[in-house]
Amino acid sequence: MQERKIEELVREASRKGLSRRQLIQRAAVLGISAPALTVAMTKMAPAALAQDRPTLRIAQNAADLASLDPHYAAGTQDRALVDMVFNGLVRFKPGDSTQIEPDLATAVPEPSDQGGKQVWTFTLRDNVQVHKTGKSDAYTLTADDVVFSFKKAADENTSAYAGDYQGITVAKVDDKTVTFTLDNPLSPTLFLPKVANYSGGYVVPQKAYEALGADAFKTAPAGTGPFKFDSYTPQNSVALVANDDYFRGQPKLAGIDYRYIEESSSRESALLSGDIDVINGLPEGQWVDKMNKSDGVKADVFGVGEAIWLEINVTAKPFDDAKVRQAIALALSRENHVALFGAPVGETIYSVVPAQLMPGGLTEEQAKKAGVIYEQNIDQAKQLLAEAGVKDGFEIKLVTSQMDDYRRNYEVLQDELGKIGLKIDLQVVQHAAMHELIRKGTNPLVIYVAFRPTADTYLTQFFTTEGGNTNFAHYSAIDDAVAKARTTTDADEQAKLWQDANTQILKDYAAYPFLIKNLVYARSNKVDYGHELKSIVQLYPGIDETTSISS
Amino acid sequence: MAGTANPTAASFEAGAHDNGGASEIKLVSQRQRAWRTFRSNRTAVIGLGMVVAIVLVGVFAPLIAPYAPNEQSTINRLAQPSASHWLGRDDYGRDILSRVIYGTRVALLVGILSVLLGGVFGTAIGVIAGYFRGKLDTVLMRLVDILLSFPDLITGLLVMAVLGAGLPKLIIAIALTITPRFARIAYGPTLAIKEKEFVEAAKALGQNNRRILTRHILPNVSGELIVLASLWTASAIRLEASLSFIGLGVKPPTATWGQMIRDGVTYLTDHPWFSLAPGIALLITVFAFNLVGDGLRDVLDPRSRS
Repeated sequence: MQERKIEELVREASRKGLSRRQLIQRAAVLGISAPALTVAMTKMAPAALAQDRPTLRIAQNAADLASLDPHYAAGTQDRALVDMVFNGLVRFKPGDSTQIEPDLATAVPEPSDQGGKQVWTFTLRDNVQVHKTGKSDAYTLTADDVVFSFKKAADENTSAYAGDYQGITVAKVDDKTVTFTLDNPLSPTLFLPKVANYSGGYVVPQKAYEALGADAFKTAPAGTGPFKFDSYTPQNSVALVANDDYFRGQPKLAGIDYRYIEESSSRESALLSGDIDVINGLPEGQWVDKMNKSDGVKADVFGVGEAIWLEINVTAKPFDDAKVRQAIALALSRENHVALFGAPVGETIYSVVPAQLMPGGLTEEQAKKAGVIYEQNIDQAKQLLAEAGVKDGFEIKLVTSQMDDYRRNYEVLQDELGKIGLKIDLQVVQHAAMHELIRKGTNPLVIYVAFRPTADTYLTQFFTTEGGNTNFAHYSAIDDAVAKARTTTDADEQAKLWQDANTQILKDYAAYPFLIKNLVYARSNKVDYGHELKSIVQLYPGIDETTSISS
Repeated sequence: MAGTANPTAASFEAGAHDNGGASEIKLVSQRQRAWRTFRSNRTAVIGLGMVVAIVLVGVFAPLIAPYAPNEQSTINRLAQPSASHWLGRDDYGRDILSRVIYGTRVALLVGILSVLLGGVFGTAIGVIAGYFRGKLDTVLMRLVDILLSFPDLITGLLVMAVLGAGLPKLIIAIALTITPRFARIAYGPTLAIKEKEFVEAAKALGQNNRRILTRHILPNVSGELIVLASLWTASAIRLEASLSFIGLGVKPPTATWGQMIRDGVTYLTDHPWFSLAPGIALLITVFAFNLVGDGLRDVLDPRSRS
């Protein structure tokens, strides 16, 4: 017990840069004598001593955390931290979220049919240790924790993702085995993300959660991941320390110093001066080029990108006339919007579901073949407006968020539609206010920026009646197709159904897809994430036990 | 009879002209004397020249600006200064110089109209409260005190938050921050002037309150108010830029200096002209109005003159 205390003390001293004298003083407070400290330190394996490992310093584009309870974490700044502290039953392969591999479970299972219902059975790894907290000891994760976590995730009082877990019954078979029984069968594409390291899929250990309480857990969480929560300084930073009992092995880092720096130029200066190792960058091609020309620094551009598209309310006058919607489609240019971010940050998409990121989207070739590319043609757009009886155009009142991703795209839209006589009266409001207003139907034209993990989520949420107030297009023509695709277990057939739904949306001019905006991070050349960066659903480079900093 | 309104009309000045050895008495109006004093203040004249130039830039913006201010070309966004685009292009590929030139219009419109609006209301409140006293005075001036207790930007923010963005609303918001300043400045002199003999005389002659206020009180508080107006025009322009900077100003795509400064901050290291150009325009304009204000104070404010 005393050795453990000493080990933690030594790591803390390393992380906080304490002198030997301060270390001995702290040890004395804990009832550890100086000789006992020296003896214990010599017995400790060198790798376990934090002095051998650097702490990774990350600056995130946020003023503060919102919630580190993984079942509430939604912002990029929270998702990244949560990912370092928690695990799922399965996980998106580090650096490549198109692949799923085991995490807390020993294998990625195949579903079975039991009594006419689809059942997924997971076997847990041995000796997965839950982090010690100020109010609970470390312990071995069991099936009880998994059942507790998924019940929590399915409860709208304790989770923001409850909707994803309806119709799923989770049960303990024994200490190492849990089953998920589905009311309606799902394909692996749709089911596995629900139990992966994302949103409600993170496993929240029961005893730690109950010991800390729901409120404290939001700022001082405990999971099973490669890093343990250590401290939180509001509007400043969160400190994590290495979990040396991590089931995949000891992390190569002593810990994480996660800082909140909202101002982009401050983050950039901190990186260039060597005060920070990794920063959330500017989503601009020019900035990426600039960083890559700087000494000792590299910018990484990777997925998953957030899709940006225009949705047109097909029930609002005069947009209920397909000719007006077609005119709008012909007034737009994807290139104008992609150029706002520049290559390689902005990438053109041809359906709202991005084909680059997931099955069910349309590639350029497929969109061309289906006749739904819609190249800009101002004359034809004006002609269509004349045919629709609005030759002289009209004024549209729209609100936009003050956030650049929204405001810029709306201003380009304003310019584009101005060329065919549609005058946009654009009001800039706070981001939260915009979300509230567009859900009330303020905007007949809505530009939306979002990443969703599956085609089903994109289509259901934004283009079906089930989507409710986020079906900004008030569209219902693909309700049946999306429902059918959801219960189709053959992956190819399912993808085909989603592609057909995407094509239908575009044929009805209910939406116009612009681009995906990839993630941009910059790092010191000394940082090695331990994996390639292709696409990462947690919206950061992915930091785990393999991440290292060379000296 | 209005001649009893003492010092406002004209005064005699010993003429310094030597006219064949005979001295003459020259009639010099107060206005002429004020202009002569103003002209003798070189910095004030420079300020006036700058203000005139700025107004001309605003008025003739369509003739001066090389491009339409809202003409986008996202493919060419953030282009560096060149022969065709002297200050480069902004983050939508718009010509920065043209937007700075057009931004003058918004700055002047907001600066002048908000001061006019706030000045008229504020002066009316101050003069009425000071002249009529009683409960009306208490209510109006406590209201003014409450408004004065808020910093300008906070008042502007509150009003914009309630009214929403847009040029007319921005003018109203800034006018509201200005109103209590004018009220407070008009109030004090009104208290003193209403006790003067010429006001008593006007009352004795049966003149009604409206006539006394407009013919006797207002002309005698106008000097300080004009000084205040010129100084607050600069502040109003600065406030407009501040509100635009935090995204509560004029609706897009209208070019405003505050919004341009805000948008350019992100690119300050690589594209400094994006923020610097409107910043310098703002600096020059505020400086010019302040110079004129200082000059006017020297001419019109009796305390300053003494």
